[in-house]
Amino acid sequence: MSEIKVVTNILQTNDEITAKNKKILDEKGIYVINLMSSPGSGKTSLLERIIAKLKNDINIAVIEGDIYTTKDAQRIEAQGVPVIQINTGGACHLDAEMIKGALNSLSLDKVDLLVIENVGNLVCPAEFEIGEDIKISVLSTTEGNDKPLKYPLMFEKSGAIILNKLDLIEFTDFDKKEFYKDIKSLNANADTFETSCVKNQGIDEICSWLMSKMKNKKISIKN
Amino acid sequence: MHEVSIIQNVIKIVIDKATENKFTKVNKVSLKIGELSAVMPESLNFAFKSCIMDTMLEGSTLEIEKVKAVAECSDCTQEFPIDHFNKLCPCCNKFSSSIISGYELYINTIEGD
Repeated sequence: MSEIKVVTNILQTNDEITAKNKKILDEKGIYVINLMSSPGSGKTSLLERIIAKLKNDINIAVIEGDIYTTKDAQRIEAQGVPVIQINTGGACHLDAEMIKGALNSLSLDKVDLLVIENVGNLVCPAEFEIGEDIKISVLSTTEGNDKPLKYPLMFEKSGAIILNKLDLIEFTDFDKKEFYKDIKSLNANADTFETSCVKNQGIDEICSWLMSKMKNKKISIKN
Repeated sequence: MHEVSIIQNVIKIVIDKATENKFTKVNKVSLKIGELSAVMPESLNFAFKSCIMDTMLEGSTLEIEKVKAVAECSDCTQEFPIDHFNKLCPCCNKFSSSIISGYELYINTIEGD
């Protein structure tokens, strides 16, 4: 019997495809968001509001990840932007290979912003890079302020964290002070936003923040 | 349960490496897993046992070594142990996002004949 040193990253294949995805997207100057949260926290609703606000100024495309159904893709399609649905058929997260396939089906030439809505799940999607510029996680007030500590990886790896369903906070025991304290201990550098899709609140702030992120990427790629 | 996808990747890499080294059978696979990763050793073991059937890894054992999480302070360059909820430099009390180890997911060694 003999032993060999392997020292190989288990997600090597995923990381190689991620690098290829990123190259394609960077060459086109597309800003890419990996949008993550548990099911039902309002990713698609937020996306609808953001698209409605920005679609006259920029070109947006969306990749929708779900285990089954095209329900979310239909909602995005109704906003009049190109959308590709990925059905993972059971898998709890999107990976780089699935995104590679979706990129082949999208016409990327005029796209400024690509939003990849991951499978609703607070754990697994955080482990897989897919070619994004930023991970954004959404938490809704009805889920409780303890979730960042219970599911730390996603909040730790996110560049921005959105607290959604602010209109419902008065009906819950959500403690905003605790929430921000926990977020700070996990990830002091994340940008934070508060939104209510029902009241269309906080959407303008996210949109102007996104516009500056997109602009910065286009400038950094030109240089 | 992304542990199944992770184990499927492990098996693929192990078979490639074992074949390269002219092994006909793999007896042991050793992984290094960072303590900040969201991977459960119990789930990895369960997925491993199920997925190695009918492969050259069948009957092999899985060894998982945890890797400690360490960050470096951007001010004083000191390295210090961290966890998910505490990444403050013990000297400067400054939050560090420069994480040196803790997210590892890699195959360290394999043993075979």
